Amino acid sequence: MNIFMHELKAYRKSTIIWSLSLIAIIVIFMSMYSSFAEDAEDFKRILENYPEALRNALGFNQENFFTILGFYSFPLSFITLCAAIQAMNLGTSIVSKEVLAKTADFLLTKPFTRNKILTAKLLAAFVSIVMTNVVYFAAASFVALQVKTDDFSLKIFFLLSLTIFFIQLLFLAFGIIISVIVQRIKSVLTVSLATVFVFYFVGMFSDTTGDEVKRYISPFKYFDAAYIIKHSSYEATFLIVGAVIILLAIAASYVVYNKKDIHAV
Amino acid sequence: MNIFLKEMKYHRKSLIFWSIGVFLMVISGMTKYEAYSSSGQSINDLIADIPKSLRAVLGFSDLDLTKASGYYGMLFLYLLLMATIHAVMLGATIIAKEERDKTSEFLFVKPVSRSKVITTKLLAAFTNIIIFNLATFLSSIILLGKYSDGEAVNSEIAILMAAMLFLQVLFMVIGSALAAVKKKPKSAASVAAGILLLTYMLSIVIDLNENIEGLRYFTPFKYFEAKNVMYGGGLDVLFVVISLILILTLLVVTYVFYKKRDLNV
Repeated sequence: MNIFMHELKAYRKSTIIWSLSLIAIIVIFMSMYSSFAEDAEDFKRILENYPEALRNALGFNQENFFTILGFYSFPLSFITLCAAIQAMNLGTSIVSKEVLAKTADFLLTKPFTRNKILTAKLLAAFVSIVMTNVVYFAAASFVALQVKTDDFSLKIFFLLSLTIFFIQLLFLAFGIIISVIVQRIKSVLTVSLATVFVFYFVGMFSDTTGDEVKRYISPFKYFDAAYIIKHSSYEATFLIVGAVIILLAIAASYVVYNKKDIHAV
Repeated sequence: MNIFLKEMKYHRKSLIFWSIGVFLMVISGMTKYEAYSSSGQSINDLIADIPKSLRAVLGFSDLDLTKASGYYGMLFLYLLLMATIHAVMLGATIIAKEERDKTSEFLFVKPVSRSKVITTKLLAAFTNIIIFNLATFLSSIILLGKYSDGEAVNSEIAILMAAMLFLQVLFMVIGSALAAVKKKPKSAASVAAGILLLTYMLSIVIDLNENIEGLRYFTPFKYFEAKNVMYGGGLDVLFVVISLILILTLLVVTYVFYKKRDLNV
């Protein structure tokens, strides 16, 4: 319990900063919605002159594209990017910050098993992520209700926002597994920025080919906003794959961390 | 000279990874181009009709995406993002890592002045940046040559790389100035990365709303946009001057503050 509280306290400042930044981003983007909605009205009329096939090819045939939910999925991709960095930072620092700050031997000589330490640290990171999401969702839905031009389904809005949480869990798991495997991480931020951006770019360049298999490579593509808006649910296969990845990574982290040779100062 | 070589060696591995990364990035981007170019002219006409804010949401630009060079112009933004992340982290860590790794005592009792240490470190960082730039340049020329169908693209790439170099140096000195000014050197890289993401978000928001064009002076990502630089546009003199002033100011800040710095040992 002490470890948990201590970790939570250590994360407090960064959790607050991250939550505020995410809220700032969503507020700025959503404040652009009214001008977008006007443009969208004009464009809908233009679109009608184009053949059906072409509209389908571009992917904005659905009615929903021009609603606030369709618009929301645009800033959402940047928010998930930032949120993924936060989660990856948390995950990567869980183990490696003890090594970096040379506090590993202090902590590990306490009468706790390594399993217990890792669990407490994981829980603290998890709570930090949950807090960020709760605060973010409250702010985002408030802003969305302020700028809306038509009514929209709050349930879908919630489902869309919840993808942030799932992606954060995935990157938290990636972070932990990296931090237990790599012997000494010199800079947590470099590792997490590089990993997150690699997946982000990979995801970006794999979507147009329409290749389902490629979507499995990047977590950013596990949740397709267009699909969620249309069906108001997630794609089951990707949910399962995501859950399996998280469980495997965390289980593996426990195994590796228990046997890991940790250098004393 | 020894410090220079030491720094080069220290950053060699990460530089190799970054260069491979940028190469893969160009490859994955250009394979996506094949899909675009086959869809033909009709898409171009349609894109021209899309209002500016919608175009930003959809990820289209003002460039002719059916031409290899136009498509590359769109890809350039992401290369730029990658290059600046590299530069900003490099600039921050190269200064801050002595205190982080507790080697500052060792380094600063050597008969070398602080200014000289900074100069050599910045030179090493600059060399890294140049190598990264050249790696991007070469990958682009080789890969674009395969897709361009005889279109002369090399000079366009060259001018884009010149623009990239300006931003790289700018972000490098942002990183180094932060590392010199901040009390806790560990957080310099995080703050620098935060500034980078913030300015990037700002450039996207500016795309969404024409009324806030004036804010483009605040985000380097708007200084040299591919659509303005390519096809004979060249680098905007005003923004070249702004970048140079910023770079010089931040350089002075780095030197002045680091010279007076109370090093944490």
